[in-house]
Amino acid sequence: MQNYDIVVIGSGPGGYVAAIRAAQLGFKTAIIERESLGGVCLNVGCIPSKAMITATHLLHKAQHNFPTMGLKIKGDIEVDMKQLVTWKQSVCDKMSGGVSQLLKGNSVVILKGEAEFKNPKEISVKSSSGTELIQGKYFIIATGSRPIEIPGFKFDEKDVVSSTGALAWDQIPKRVVTIGGGYIGLEISSYLRKLGCEVTVIEAQNSLLAGVVDPECAQVVTRKLDKSGVKIVYGAKAKSQKKTKDAYEVTIEINGKDEVIKADKILVTVGRRPNGDQSNLKAAGVVTDERGFVKVDAQRRTNISNIFAIGDICGQPMLAHKASHEGVLVAEVIKGYNRVYDAKTVPAVVFTDPEIAAAGMTEAEARAKGFIDLKIAKFPFAANGRAVSMMETEGFIKMIADSKTNVLLGVHIVGPEASNLISEAVLAIEMGARIEDLALSIHPHPTLGEAVMECAEATLGHAIHIIQKPLASTSKTANA
Amino acid sequence: MATNVKLPELGEGVSEGELVKWLVQPGDVVKADQPIAEVMTDKATVEVPTPIAGTVVELKFKSGDVVKVDSIMLVLEASAGASAKVVAPVAAAKPAAPTTAQPTAQQNFVAASPSISPPVADAKTLATPATRRLAREMSVDINTLNGTGLAGRVTRDDVLSTKAGNSMGTGATRAPGLSIPRPAYQGGGGAEERVAMIGIRRKIAENMQKSKAIIPHFTIMDQANVTALVAFRESLKDYAEKNDTKITYLPIVIKAMIATIREFPMFNASIDDATSEIVYKKYFNIGFAADTPNGLMVPVIKNADQKTIVELSKEILDLSKRAREGRLKLEEMKGASITITNIGSIGGTYATPVINHPEVAIIGMYKIDEKPVIKNGQLEAIKTMNYTVTADHRLIDGAVAARFLKSFLERIENPARLMMDMI
Repeated sequence: MQNYDIVVIGSGPGGYVAAIRAAQLGFKTAIIERESLGGVCLNVGCIPSKAMITATHLLHKAQHNFPTMGLKIKGDIEVDMKQLVTWKQSVCDKMSGGVSQLLKGNSVVILKGEAEFKNPKEISVKSSSGTELIQGKYFIIATGSRPIEIPGFKFDEKDVVSSTGALAWDQIPKRVVTIGGGYIGLEISSYLRKLGCEVTVIEAQNSLLAGVVDPECAQVVTRKLDKSGVKIVYGAKAKSQKKTKDAYEVTIEINGKDEVIKADKILVTVGRRPNGDQSNLKAAGVVTDERGFVKVDAQRRTNISNIFAIGDICGQPMLAHKASHEGVLVAEVIKGYNRVYDAKTVPAVVFTDPEIAAAGMTEAEARAKGFIDLKIAKFPFAANGRAVSMMETEGFIKMIADSKTNVLLGVHIVGPEASNLISEAVLAIEMGARIEDLALSIHPHPTLGEAVMECAEATLGHAIHIIQKPLASTSKTANA
Repeated sequence: MATNVKLPELGEGVSEGELVKWLVQPGDVVKADQPIAEVMTDKATVEVPTPIAGTVVELKFKSGDVVKVDSIMLVLEASAGASAKVVAPVAAAKPAAPTTAQPTAQQNFVAASPSISPPVADAKTLATPATRRLAREMSVDINTLNGTGLAGRVTRDDVLSTKAGNSMGTGATRAPGLSIPRPAYQGGGGAEERVAMIGIRRKIAENMQKSKAIIPHFTIMDQANVTALVAFRESLKDYAEKNDTKITYLPIVIKAMIATIREFPMFNASIDDATSEIVYKKYFNIGFAADTPNGLMVPVIKNADQKTIVELSKEILDLSKRAREGRLKLEEMKGASITITNIGSIGGTYATPVINHPEVAIIGMYKIDEKPVIKNGQLEAIKTMNYTVTADHRLIDGAVAARFLKSFLERIENPARLMMDMI
């Protein structure tokens, strides 16, 4: 029987990172993967969707910005969907291959197959070549999550699809109904619309991205979706679907009344659920909560002392970068280092058009945490030279600071490259920066990053590139 | 079942020990009687075993912490053959579950909440990620610190300064008003390195500080003509070899010292500071300073007056060897009535050693040299060796120490004189 110090189950951004750090620390490490190395993120999630979003963003710019810029294309731009999907796949393969090389380079043993716990010390790996029993001193469960299926909409991943199926379409569907206006549904709907698809989003709430991002940020994206022709139906519930000769008929319920929408494809993005019901966790005695999340402590240790859980399987937020952070943490905890999950913020990014990114607290969260007196300001990208020159001026940066100390509590960005701009905010929050620290750090011109500095100035009451008068108090008035 | 493993009795009169290092880590499976930690008391480092087998769940202390006897050192998940096939937390569904399955399921739950120590930084605590990690590694609860940085930010120095006055690390707060100037910064990068003063080094520091704080030291010095002593020792070489040992000067000097102490019993006394009493000892337990890779250690030869020079030689060789290897037992470093230090093999003409409190004297012996002297108008080459007597002036007057040294040197200079002291 094979015997390891650490066995990692799942090779997504949590698992493979944990395995590499474990190997770096000198542990004999194995990683089990039933599908492709890199997990959902690299193969059917973050990375492929970003490839599609990048391509369609360029298409959109060529169609809408080029004429103004004096760039003329003779005739229409043709989308070769098969080539687009092939390129997207090559991006995934490159990333997955990279993970494979890194694991091998660190002498991590890769075991392909389905993992099932036998007891707290043994796990079986079942593959086409048979079943093998593996022994481990420690296990790290990094088995992630999967799309939630709703009654009446069973995934066939061709016509009725989750994000996985939608990313694999090699023909542009004519009409798509997206059930669920969360970030995954909106990212895919946005790029489908840019490809010319007619998209209807069915949202149960009365706004998009409700409870996920700052409401003002969501509004900017909603306006852009409306403008681009995406149809959004609020307060609606998808009830059933029926295949007719030429289309699917999706029945939705609004205010107690049924309505029927015709579509060629149905995309269901109502959320993801943890895979706590898989891998026979019960045999190891690992306890999950009623939603299927594995219960862990601040070191990501489960109720069984030699078993840890990281990433989507152990709780919200279900984000790849949180999983990676936990992967490093757990390997070091096993090594005996005193480590604990104590990050102040997990940034969140939504790749809509424009992008949304957030770090730290929203206004409501800050008040709930006892920060009564807040300084809040916004700075629009329309006042930023680089944004204007990119023809991407929609959106703003919003900062929230504690009035007493000027300590930065939260940053919310909607606009161009929000995903890249947010890292500065993450660092500032982790370092306990005051807004003066951001305002007084010289930011290079002309960049989108200047907007961060200007927003900090605006929060202090004296931004240069928007009109704020009379000049507000200096930083002296905030307690040092 | 989670079981607490406590620090056992380490020796008579020992109430605490300093954790030098853990020999196990959480998750390790240990057997009964397996050493789990090195703990240092007085000057001995002992390996503490676990009385039961199991899997280590949690370590309660960190290196450098002072652990009281009988306090919980670590938590074990007692093994019912942990690696064996005690599957079956699910098997509890069976109505008549086997009795072994029940405790297993239970035991898994006990392990569910290993406490995180120190607690996680809360939302209002301002500190950089690096500072938070430093605090965790030093077992400092960052939430209890008063940050001195901007807006109450806890700085790296705030965390570091807690450790200076607090070894337990729990609930460490800044000592108000206490300001010990920090050494001036010497430049960039690796110009300085800070290392925690733990283990034997800290014990030495504490003992030295105590001795110097309590005892008014004074030292008297003289040079002895050891020409005869050198010849005496040379003549014993063959005899020593036959007896499988090596005779150094130390056992001979010890004999001379004991004989002299019989004339001056106050040198074999101690002062009980608590009761202000002088304690005269009827036994001769001689400590000797040993230089080891870990620092100064003082093994003790018990009842040295009742042992022959050959026996003393053997015992000194054995104790020194084990001191260097860090294998001395605690009992072998306790109960000295007077100490002797011999740095002659290294060099130096004279030193002023520190008395090993609560003893009242320490004898120093230094290197053997060849020197010219004028004797009866004639130039003569003799072998010399310097000696010092350092004494506690509360008990021993200068004149008494001078007489002691004179009497002691008569024996050193004339080994035959030692015969007169034979009991």
